Amino acid sequence: MKSAYNATWLHNLSIVKEVKQWRDYEMLSQEQFLVISSEYPSSFYHPNVIIRILLFLATLIALAGVTGLGALVVFNTRSNEEYAFGVSLVYGIVSFIFLDRVFIYNAKHYKSGVTEALLYHALGYTLVGIAGMTEWEPLLMASAFFVVFSIAAFRYIDLISTACAFASLAFLLFYVLYDAGGYMQQIIPMAVIALFTPLYFAVKKIKAYAAANPWRPCLTLLEALSLLLIYAAGNYFVVRELSLELMDLVIEEGQDIPFAYVFYSLTVAIPVGYLYFGIKRKDLVLIRVSLLAIAFSVVTFKYYFSLGHPEISLTAAGAVLLTVSLLLFRYLKSPKYGYTRENVLREKWSDMNIESFVIAQSLGGNTGTVQETGGGGDFAGGGSTDSF
Amino acid sequence: MRIEHLRELREKGLITEHQYNTIEPIATRKVLSVFYELRILLYLGVMLFTTGVGILIYQNIGDMGHILAVIGLFILTGACFWYAFRYAPGYSNGKTKAPTPYFDYVVLLGSLLFISALTYLQIQYELFDDGLGATTLVTAAFFFYAAYRFDHLGVLSLAITALASFWGISVSPQKWYSSDFFSEGELYNIALVFGAVLATVAVVLDRRGVKRHFTFTYMNFSALIFLTAALTGVFVNPDYFALYLLLLYAGCGVIVYSAHRRKSFLFLLYAFVYAYIGTTYMLIDLIQNVILWLFYLFASCGAFIFFIVQYKNYFKRAE
Repeated sequence: MKSAYNATWLHNLSIVKEVKQWRDYEMLSQEQFLVISSEYPSSFYHPNVIIRILLFLATLIALAGVTGLGALVVFNTRSNEEYAFGVSLVYGIVSFIFLDRVFIYNAKHYKSGVTEALLYHALGYTLVGIAGMTEWEPLLMASAFFVVFSIAAFRYIDLISTACAFASLAFLLFYVLYDAGGYMQQIIPMAVIALFTPLYFAVKKIKAYAAANPWRPCLTLLEALSLLLIYAAGNYFVVRELSLELMDLVIEEGQDIPFAYVFYSLTVAIPVGYLYFGIKRKDLVLIRVSLLAIAFSVVTFKYYFSLGHPEISLTAAGAVLLTVSLLLFRYLKSPKYGYTRENVLREKWSDMNIESFVIAQSLGGNTGTVQETGGGGDFAGGGSTDSF
Repeated sequence: MRIEHLRELREKGLITEHQYNTIEPIATRKVLSVFYELRILLYLGVMLFTTGVGILIYQNIGDMGHILAVIGLFILTGACFWYAFRYAPGYSNGKTKAPTPYFDYVVLLGSLLFISALTYLQIQYELFDDGLGATTLVTAAFFFYAAYRFDHLGVLSLAITALASFWGISVSPQKWYSSDFFSEGELYNIALVFGAVLATVAVVLDRRGVKRHFTFTYMNFSALIFLTAALTGVFVNPDYFALYLLLLYAGCGVIVYSAHRRKSFLFLLYAFVYAYIGTTYMLIDLIQNVILWLFYLFASCGAFIFFIVQYKNYFKRAE
């Protein structure tokens, strides 16, 4: 069981990347960094993120050209659907081989932008081919998608494939129970929780093995997605709206969905539980997911028990968040229980430059222009954050 | 990093005992940094709060509760800037260190509340006769001052956005999607000049050594505004189509040159993407054949990939 990439180089690259962070934080010197990178060599072609984006876009456009030319050769007016799906499948598989042999094995590309573009291209044509051949039968299709995405995620250590494999699995479970009908539909939330809780713990266990090192990012993503799905399955809003939408549940005045109180309590208990265990075990994935879940739980309750003053809710929520975070900043002035407010190691995207751009786009973003708002004073809505 | 790899580095003598002891608690998560979590919470708090306050200001003008809210707003804005002036380190042309981790957010909160306060004054007392134009200019001036005084990149971005919107240029992605960016009149001509002037100012400030770390933000805005304006000219002005295309190429050329000098790949990305769109648009009239088009897509991008991979050392960050 191996990935498509050279395992030693992967290992060396991960060490050098980490050491580079320490150097950026001046924990060790430039000379030490150079010695370590020559001690842990890797021959991958692995450019920086901007070059990767450029190469990704260029590869997609070039592939569109190739595909179009190929289609002109292969198809004529007498080609039928079955033939087209067959061609698509073959083309997808050929693309996989091309990616694997030419770019990864020979040219030593590792997540270069070209590899990602080729991978999604190959996945797309393979899956369209498979879907057409199963005549769009949901059960067969989802199973096939799950298998193909899992193989791609494993072999190419790819995050998007990992997320797609996870989604296929979740859909499969949902569809089987939904299709069975009757009381099976009622137990969907419980079944999701019952299946994905063990998955979460299994992923955590796998992550602890040294052999799983190259797949760490994928495993972390699976961890977070499992937690989110478990939360969603217990969330009142999700359960209620899906029941109304898909299972033709009719709720009359004064009535509520079956087991409403179970879901009310889960909506509160799951995020709080995540946060508690996250803080206790110093698990950042749990803490981050819990913050998201808490926000969504607040929205859920506001949605059904709203007092009709969204602007007051907004202001109050903002004030609470400001107060809590300022208090936490003060509290963690010196590290407590192993938590610190200081930035001990830089992560990706933590550049101040990027942060400032985010601020301009999310706050100064919808700036009214002079011409547009020249008339009068009435332009309510999100008006406040505008910098006229 | 796993602890066994860290030990390996120590055993090979690649890191010292002292370094091992510094890094070990981080690697084993004895110390866990919640730096980003706290900052995101603060940022969300600032965003929700200022949005909520902004809406409150527009509602029920004249009410008793409303007047209290307005007084609260002014007190809070004042408090933010009092805090900022009280604790800010003195002005310096270089980077200054924030006195507290949340200092930047207090400045941001104050600046955003300042907009609400100014807008309220404008609506209630018509401070400036010609309406929003002057308000925008005052906002921009104030933000530039705050950005330089408190060394705040976020407020600098807001200042540039405000200044651009004074000229009628709206700098936001939403506008680009809906394609009414620069559409009114010949706004793209103003935007071309604005982008060029902004870039010149940035270069002059950079040469003089004034807040060098602001240069990226200036350049980012000016590059995007200039290139988008030139491209809009190419699209909507068939009479002077060639002129705008030349301007686009010139802009891309300057950007590639300075990107290479600064080793900034983001600008390289802008230059290539805009130049490619412009060139492809020019070819629309020339190429009439589908096969030729497909071949063009394949050949141009294939050659581009080959070029990047072949000259990979040119496109490498300095280690």
